[in-house]
Amino acid sequence: MKTIDYSFRERLNQILGGFGHNYCYQCGACVADCPTHRHLDDFNPRTIILQALFGFEEELIGTDSIIWNCTNCYNCHERCPQEVSPIEVIIALKNMSLEKDTQPPVIKNIVDKVRKSGSTVSVTELANKRREELGLPPFQMDCTDEVEKLLKN
Amino acid sequence: MKVIPFWGCMIALKYPQMEKAVRFSLEKLGVEVQEETRFSCCPDPIYFKAADKITWLTLAARNIALAEEHEMDIVTLCSGCTSTLSEANYHLKHDKELREKVNQSLKKIGREFRGTINVRHLVTLLRDDVGMERIKASVKYPMQDLKVAIHYGCHLLKPSEVMNVDDPVVPKILHELIEITGATPINHKEYLLCCGKACQDHELSLGMSTDVFQSITDSGADCMGLICPTCFDSFDLGQIRVSRKVGKEFNVPVIYYFQLLALAQGAKPEDVGIKYHKIMPDTFLEKLRVSETVAS
Repeated sequence: MKTIDYSFRERLNQILGGFGHNYCYQCGACVADCPTHRHLDDFNPRTIILQALFGFEEELIGTDSIIWNCTNCYNCHERCPQEVSPIEVIIALKNMSLEKDTQPPVIKNIVDKVRKSGSTVSVTELANKRREELGLPPFQMDCTDEVEKLLKN
Repeated sequence: MKVIPFWGCMIALKYPQMEKAVRFSLEKLGVEVQEETRFSCCPDPIYFKAADKITWLTLAARNIALAEEHEMDIVTLCSGCTSTLSEANYHLKHDKELREKVNQSLKKIGREFRGTINVRHLVTLLRDDVGMERIKASVKYPMQDLKVAIHYGCHLLKPSEVMNVDDPVVPKILHELIEITGATPINHKEYLLCCGKACQDHELSLGMSTDVFQSITDSGADCMGLICPTCFDSFDLGQIRVSRKVGKEFNVPVIYYFQLLALAQGAKPEDVGIKYHKIMPDTFLEKLRVSETVAS
């Protein structure tokens, strides 16, 4: 039998937006308007918060967790009568996944791109060519020194 | 009126036609632009925020601090940038402890978030500061024959207490702004649905997009009008994948709102990079040549 893991909840409480899960009374207002739930029955913001209340670490932040199918649309945030903000709890859980290194590869790729160039989109020949064709000034982002310092722990 | 546009990565590098349209429109409206080349990525509210919320806030705070030096509001053109910068500005203004933590990091580069400016999407600048009368006066070639299916996208409106743009359930802002170009705005059944771009399983995004395309097709609109480059990605290039998946050609052209406004203000389709769009039927393109038709 599984038991409630309070230490997991304690860790979640420490992350910005993570504490909200404590307020959830499982009404399900978040479910009806969730676009992912509409297309994937197994994705259910109410049960994600329930698992957080149980402290089910493996289900939530193990490899291939369903939390990565959240659309980030904020409908649940708008509907919630308890100010849980399921989306912010889900993002806090994603932050915890990084500590376990169970996140999809795209996350670190994006952070690395920002670290190296300041941008999430690569500067390509095509981009420069199109900007020139449109008569736009050359792309400029003079930030890498400062960004690197801020990304250093 | 002078503002600092936050061009962002996606518009500037992937869809520069959107930047061009905005520059064209702002000039017609007499809004001056203050360039700031030291901005970094906002950083993005999906992947970067998923990695670490505090670092995400810190980089966003650096961008806001740069605009604070100019004592001017940041005007955003991408819903992702709008989301990140508005949320950061809101939370850092309201949460003293968080602000102190972030400012501790910013000290390393000699900067500080002070909370002295606002972040706003360009559509709110148009509605609230430029005003509908001035926009109307700038529209020389009304897009009378065009029915535009509205697509809001998520991050212009929500979280509503942070964005403070419009009612997130029954918004009006895009309806009004499309109407002013002379086109007919269409609130089709799925006009508030998410594009699903952030879902890891791309099948989900394709499913949501299919619902949106079906809804637009049923509405009889000529095209889709939106304000977010990520949604544009899902619906223009993404439409090819959607068609392949469901075995059906929707052929819905997608247009960024400021391209529509620029066209109504006298731009030609080539001025605002319409040729870079993947889905652009000739019959629709002809409808966009209002300034040339009237002139000839």
